[in-house]
Order: sequence, then structure tokens, then C-alpha cells
Amino acid sequence: MFIAIDAGKCMGHGRCYAVAEDLLSDDDEGFVAERGRCWELPADLVGQAQDAADACPEGAIAVTETAPADA
Amino acid sequence: MTQTHRGCPVAHTDFTGSAPILEHYRMLDEDREKARFLFNDTTDRGFLMLQRYDDVQEGFQQHETWTTAVRSALRPGLGEPLLPQDLNGQPHVKLRRILNQFFAPAAVRRMEPMAKQRCIELIEEIEDAGSCDFVKEFAIRYPTDMFLALLGLPVSDGEQFLEWSDDYFGALLAGDPGRAEAAKTSIMKYFDEAVNERRAHPRDPKEDMVTRLVQARIDDEALTQDEILTICLTLMLAGLDTTRSALGYIYAHLAQNPADRQALIDDPALIPKAVEEFLRLYPLVFQAGREVQEPQDFNGLEVEKGDVVWLGIAQANRDPRKFENPDEFDVARHNANQHLAFGGGPHRCLGMHLARLELKVVLEEWHRRIPEYRIKAGTELTERGVQLSMSSLPLEWDVEA
Repeated sequence: MFIAIDAGKCMGHGRCYAVAEDLLSDDDEGFVAERGRCWELPADLVGQAQDAADACPEGAIAVTETAPADA
Repeated sequence: MTQTHRGCPVAHTDFTGSAPILEHYRMLDEDREKARFLFNDTTDRGFLMLQRYDDVQEGFQQHETWTTAVRSALRPGLGEPLLPQDLNGQPHVKLRRILNQFFAPAAVRRMEPMAKQRCIELIEEIEDAGSCDFVKEFAIRYPTDMFLALLGLPVSDGEQFLEWSDDYFGALLAGDPGRAEAAKTSIMKYFDEAVNERRAHPRDPKEDMVTRLVQARIDDEALTQDEILTICLTLMLAGLDTTRSALGYIYAHLAQNPADRQALIDDPALIPKAVEEFLRLYPLVFQAGREVQEPQDFNGLEVEKGDVVWLGIAQANRDPRKFENPDEFDVARHNANQHLAFGGGPHRCLGMHLARLELKVVLEEWHRRIPEYRIKAGTELTERGVQLSMSSLPLEWDVEA
């Protein structure tokens, strides 16, 4: 499974790293530090990744089976 | 409804009056289910209503062509300049970048010990009385003190400051420019002295927001004194009445739903989740406005330059297409975090993490000291329109003799 965080959509609501603290972290301005990145998830963090996607009010986080084509 | 405007049914619902508590949500829900888009003709300019979660979220994200030249669909002509939200595009991003670090979760965490201490002091002032008007004697004093602390000002100025800010905000919502101007003069003089003091005696700009504003450069230019004062005024307008209102609705709910209250008392670790669910269920800013700058087709709705768009925050938060059983308080709701109570897009509420901290601390500290309380018998709760708020919430609790 892969996670992709859309830097254009991320507005720093800070919900994702609040629910996925082993996977994501915050920067000084409150944005998720990993924004703009796409990477393969270790199996034990897939659940947290899904929680992060479910928590984002901007729909900026995608969790997918395969790496997104445009990443 | 036979009339149409831009192909939308025309609605006449007036969201500006006072009503029994929760009545506005009923009216908003009813409008949302009438049609996907409505044109409301109760203001001079009228407004096109986006009401479903997906449309409202997408509307907030149209920031390049839908700007904050109108901030409230209900009050499109409210001339009071506000910063940073009056800016759009890159100038907005640059000013937000200066402010964000003082409102980020990491910065807010540094305020937590002070936030707790002040909260406990205010509860202890009223605890032995066995009753209080919660919104007047507690829910407004706390965010006022926190606002002063954020600006590095003495919380002992809180009571005086509260009088000015209440007067000012009330006059603005009522559309009374004369009274608003008088109250504003006192507030701006107070801020002016504070900013000048910081110019003379700068503190650490990493920790002190006013020092940072005084020293900041955007494209090699310093902010003017007027701009800094406007930022202070904006933070005041954004953070005080809203937090009071949120606390009012939360406590009205908890006083009337003992099982929900008991769950938080039994397991205070649930409180952050409960805060999100309360924000979803009871958003005070129930709409935001935007002004369309370019004609476009928005999901089948034709919008023209100059149109006022209503982004229905409360309608989105209570949209059954997004949230199952939307009228129910469900602390375990898996997607409560996706609520739009703080707006969305680049203008999303700057103070959201501070607001969350304040609500969390109050729920923790209050219930530790006053776990049982009720609304005074015979009280009829009412709410103000435009931006929801209760004028009064009389609470009572038993005190040991």
C-alpha cells in the first residue's frame, strides 16, 4: 500500500499527524512535514495511514494499492 | 418554489434573527434538502448557496477565483478590514507564514500549562457559588484572558478588555457603525500602546508574536503599525466570541445529556475526540462567503463575476451524505475530524489549534471540579443569528455545605 500527500491541497489542519503519530509529523508552521511525498507503507502502518486519510478535511491524503501514476 | 435564479430555486430563509436554541440548524438542514443549490434573496446582493459537504469543501478550495472580497454571505458589505483574511493569493500566503508558527500545534502545546492554570483560577472563582451564567461569567472570560496571553499582555486587563470587545462585536453584528467605532477606538489605543512597548523592548521573536510582527519583513518591507493593529483586532474578533459560543453549545449539550457527560468524566482521554465531534455538530460560524471573480460552471451551477457564494459550513457538517446520523453526538465517529467548522482552503481558521486546546482544557478541568450540573429550571435558551451565540446559559450545581 502507498500513501500520497498532496502539497497543493494540504492546508495545515493538523488532523493527520494527530491520528497517525507513528507515520506523520508536523513542521514549525503546523503543516504535515511529509506533504508532497508519496511512499510505500510498512504493513503495520497501513491502518494509521487510512485513519490519516479519513481525518483530512481537504481530501489531501490518498492511500492506494499501487503507486499513483503521477507521483 | 416556482421562482428561479441562475437555474436555482429561490429561497427566502432569514438566518439573521434570534431563535430558540438549535433552530438555525433545523432551518439550514431544511434548505439543504430542498435542492442542491439555492439562491437566497434575503440580502441586497443575494447569495448562491452551496450546502452539501462535497460542494462546500470544493468551494473552499476555489480560492484562486472565489476570494474573500466577501467574507460573509449574510454581511457582504461589512467594511471592517481584517488581516490576514482580506488578502488572497501570494500576499495572503506570505502573511500567514509569519503568523502560522504562533498557532501551530507545537506552539499551542507550549501554552498548555498557562492555559490550565488560568482555567483553574476562573473555575475556582465561581465553584463555591453553586451557579453561574456560564456564557457571561466563564465562557467569554477564559478566551479573553488567553487572547491577552497570546499577545504577551497581562491577563489582569481581561475584564476591562472584555467590555470593549463585547461592545464592539455586538455593534458589528447588529450593523451599528457608530457604536462599533467608539468601542474600536479604545481597543486600538490599547493595542497601539502594546505594540509600541514591544518596539521599545523587543522579546524573543520566536516566542513572542508581537515582536515577530514588528520585526517581520515581507518582500523586504516591514508591516505598518496599522497592519499590525489590524492583525491584533482580527485575532480578537476571531477568537473570543467563537470560543464563548462553542463552550455555550457544548455545555448546553452536556447539561442535557448526562450519559455523554459521564463518558467524558469516566474517561477524560476521550475529550479531544469529543471536541472534534462537538465542533462538527455545533459549528457557530455556520457559513462563509466568497465573491466570484471569474465566470465558471461549478458542478452544474453557472456562477458569474460578482456573485456572492455561501459556503454552508453547518450544512456540510450535518450532511447525511457525509456523516451518518448527523444529528447525533457520537464520540467514536470515525470521520468527525473532516468537519469544516474551521473552514477549509488557505483561509482555514488560523486559531483552530488554540481553540481546540481551550475547549479541551475547559472540559478536563471543569469536570474534575464540577462534574454534575444542570440548566436552571424554567430557562428558555435562545441563539443569535448571523454567527450563532447564546446570550445566556444559567447553570446550577450542588455545593457541599
